[in-house]
Amino acid sequence: MAYRDLRDFLATLDENGQLVRLTDPLRPEPHFGAAARAVANLTDRGPALQFDNIDGYERSRAVLNAVGSWPNHALMLGLDKDTPVKEQFFEFARRGDDFPVEVERADDAPWREHTLDGDEINLFHLLPLFRLNRYDAGSYIDKAAVVTRDPDDPEHFGKQNVGIYRIQVKGKARLGIQPVPAHDIGLHLRKAEERGENLPMAIAIGNEPVITTIAGMPLAYDESEYEFAGAVQGSPYRIAKAPLTGMDVPYGSEVVIEGEIIGGVREIEGPFGEFTGFYSGGRRQPVIKVHRVSYRTDPIFEHLYIGRPWTELDYTVALNTSVPLYRQLKQDYPEVVAVNAMYTHGLLGIISVRPRYGGFAKAVGMRAMTVPHGLGYCKVIIIVDDTVDPFNLAQVMWSLSVKLHPAHDLVVLPDLSILPLDPSSEPPGISHKVVLDATTPIAPEQRGHFSQEVDAPAETEAWENRIKELLR
Amino acid sequence: MSTPTIPDTCPRCDTHEVSLLTESPVPGRWSMYLCGVCFYSWRSTEPGYATDPATYPAAFKIDPVDIPKMPVVPSIPARRA
Amino acid sequence: MAYEDLREFLATLDKNAQLLRFSDPLSPEPHLGAAARAVSNLTDRGPALLFDNLDGYERGRVVLNVVGSWPNHALMLGLDKDTPVKEQFFEFARRWDAFPVEVGRREDAPWREHTVEGDDIDLFHLLPLFRLNRYDAGTYIDKAPVISRDPDDWDNFDAQNVGIYRIQVKGKARLGIQPLPTHDIGLHLRKAEERGENLPVAIAVGNEPVITTVAGMPLMYDQSEYEMAGAIQGSPYRIAKAPLTGMDVPWGAEAVLEGEIVAYSREVEGPFGEFTGYYSGGRRQPVITIHRVSYRTDPIFEHLYLGRPWTEMDYTLALNTSVPLYQQLKKDFPEVVAVNAMYTQGLLGIISVRPRYGGFAKAVGVRAMTTPHGLGYCKVIIVVDETVDPFNLAQVMWSLSVKFHPAHDLVVLPDLSILPLDPSSEPAGITHKVVLDATTPIAPEQRGHFSQEVDAPAETEAWENRIKQLLK
Repeated sequence: MAYRDLRDFLATLDENGQLVRLTDPLRPEPHFGAAARAVANLTDRGPALQFDNIDGYERSRAVLNAVGSWPNHALMLGLDKDTPVKEQFFEFARRGDDFPVEVERADDAPWREHTLDGDEINLFHLLPLFRLNRYDAGSYIDKAAVVTRDPDDPEHFGKQNVGIYRIQVKGKARLGIQPVPAHDIGLHLRKAEERGENLPMAIAIGNEPVITTIAGMPLAYDESEYEFAGAVQGSPYRIAKAPLTGMDVPYGSEVVIEGEIIGGVREIEGPFGEFTGFYSGGRRQPVIKVHRVSYRTDPIFEHLYIGRPWTELDYTVALNTSVPLYRQLKQDYPEVVAVNAMYTHGLLGIISVRPRYGGFAKAVGMRAMTVPHGLGYCKVIIIVDDTVDPFNLAQVMWSLSVKLHPAHDLVVLPDLSILPLDPSSEPPGISHKVVLDATTPIAPEQRGHFSQEVDAPAETEAWENRIKELLR
Repeated sequence: MSTPTIPDTCPRCDTHEVSLLTESPVPGRWSMYLCGVCFYSWRSTEPGYATDPATYPAAFKIDPVDIPKMPVVPSIPARRA
Repeated sequence: MAYEDLREFLATLDKNAQLLRFSDPLSPEPHLGAAARAVSNLTDRGPALLFDNLDGYERGRVVLNVVGSWPNHALMLGLDKDTPVKEQFFEFARRWDAFPVEVGRREDAPWREHTVEGDDIDLFHLLPLFRLNRYDAGTYIDKAPVISRDPDDWDNFDAQNVGIYRIQVKGKARLGIQPLPTHDIGLHLRKAEERGENLPVAIAVGNEPVITTVAGMPLMYDQSEYEMAGAIQGSPYRIAKAPLTGMDVPWGAEAVLEGEIVAYSREVEGPFGEFTGYYSGGRRQPVITIHRVSYRTDPIFEHLYLGRPWTEMDYTLALNTSVPLYQQLKKDFPEVVAVNAMYTQGLLGIISVRPRYGGFAKAVGVRAMTTPHGLGYCKVIIVVDETVDPFNLAQVMWSLSVKFHPAHDLVVLPDLSILPLDPSSEPAGITHKVVLDATTPIAPEQRGHFSQEVDAPAETEAWENRIKQLLK
């Protein structure tokens, strides 16, 4: 089951009652940001929002919150919209095992319909760009797949990177981008600048949701996001060559922007309201010159609200943060049952384990802090028993309430690395971290009175099924 | 259509290098402006919090002298020999 | 708005599609416990469960999970069933301020219809009693208000106590009870035994939900639960005199059992699966002899599943634990905004505050541990900013992820008192406790970079209302 493009996915959302169309005339500011913030505030089962009567535009459309709820996330995976989060996690992890799935190439991409070059380009006319949060520096593109190649190895398909980076629109054909040095695009840019070259790139806006999710996932440097998307969607991912740069871009995109990051240039960018719930501050960052734009008739501008959790961002990064952590921990610790690292991109994570012996759960927590993602996140790790669903926070609170003994179960690690965006870090990028061990002590650790746990009455599962049917 | 009046001052850094970024595709609905110093941009129809230099909050104001001191991300590497 | 009796409340649940009837023939074990466990496992919006075809009974009826979901809890308060938990909290706290509301007395209680005395009594025939959890010692009555008077001050209405205690049914007219020394009934028993007397009691089975909730509330010794129930339901609570003991009992009860706690009797009782998720162990506890039973035609046995959270017990205790803590903290700290102490009856609690100055939030957390309830609970206290809804755990996780710095925000207090049922305590009744301060540091505490928080876009509230309407 794979969606051909964004439009195909929106049609599925619509069929499932998960798309709301707003057709009254609206100004982009403050309404689009406000509406997307509002739907995330109200519910974790909310619809996507489509605006198609935008002040100043003849036929423009903007879509927000496309994956911004658990039902929409389940539909992305082709699952029933009521699939519980924990089941979505296991399904996502299971499909990851099929990586890599070879891509499929097609050259009749719908975005070949229209082309603009050089001075003809005005991104503000092509797309209804708008300011999302009150004090953002301007209009941003924050949900587009950015495609670059390794300048030292441009033919290597696996090293071609597909990632999502925030992009400030600074002119009709001029962009600012945030390629963090730790990310693959940062490595590409560094190599280009070492060679004294610009870095060619393509930006694909408006896609079916799987590539957007995978583009936000921390894969190894030479692992192809397209081949992982194929695994997750369960069929080859369809791509096409971008005409100017030759980048491989999604076949179904609404718009493909091509251009280059100018080598050696840094210019003020930001602030931008970030997923931590705080603005990023201003930095001097690279600039992109756009040379060519290809697009479908009446392209849809797909955008994402980001700010204090929960927002659509938290849904899109929920499992693509949790699953890699899970896979990495599993390698040495098969006792790890599930990982919920979806709080602020894994600044806080909850891991369920079947402890091997006393003290084991704490080791698992410490290991999480030393996996690649953990080096910049995992400030607070809560470990729970395998009988606890880490996606059910009421159960996690129960574990903390009866299993945690603060004399024994708090491990504080001083002055570790953390992403500088953590507003509590001091200096930015350094923080203590803590493991809260809420598992039951086992031998050789003998303490407490845990032998008489109340298990569910016999026949509970049968009754769950019966009542589930009755509640439909 | 008359040419829109370009504001004199950037709401964020209070400098005066404001240019017209674009006008609405449907003529006359709005204009967008860009500050050439701090690259702040805004639309003429936005609420006052984003457009008025007098009420733009102090926590978000930028002093142009601070811009060259902002962190460079990513740093620029030396060229290979 | 007040419910006359259990039957009226069940009718309201039914009208709101919050009641399921099971009319297929069922043996009580394991089905009744399993069904109640199952409904809590599935959802926090589940219905009450009514069973009316029980093996061995002609017309016995059992109802479980009556208040076991947020919609049912809201309906108990006469609110719309979709009322968010935080709003239920504030409404509950607001009504509390109307205390005391004088009772209404009437002598035509429906339970006067039938009477059984002495050797004619067989509680197993009167009510379909059953074992709830696998290794409970037997059948229990666990949701019935027990009424007793102060033997030294017999006519003092306010010193009359209405409380819920677990009651093991040990014979046709013989019960075991757990009157903890710190509870009011413990004080009554102690006085009776000092006088060399038995302690008369009445047990009212099957009630409208408000008195059941208030009976579980930690009120002062001389505060009348009936006058509090009147405040919570917004009109005088209706009571009637029990014929044998003269106790004031709810007018609308399904059955009223009268008898006495036999002075100096202590006999093995339990184990019983408790709200901590662990069995209580066995203890030697007092015995009750029943002398007289009054009941309505075809009385409904109202019972409550408890065990590992969440269960109906957690809903019934949620606000009557949170609100008293809130009221007590508010007295010295008006900056306290809301209290969510509903995890394992407040072993873990979350408090939102508007901090007065740096360090203040920690003081609030420590104070919670020294309130009457906190002495035995509040092992883990998380303090969050006023802008965070303590009833929204995803928001609480966000606070911990970005505002909490383990070098500064972890306060561990060694070897404090805790209820002995906490399985992690060692020795039972002693544990370290911890405050996790997830508020933003304020002056004179200068650290982190919190000045640029992303607030909601303008117009967010208007959009919440608009989208709420669209989703109806």
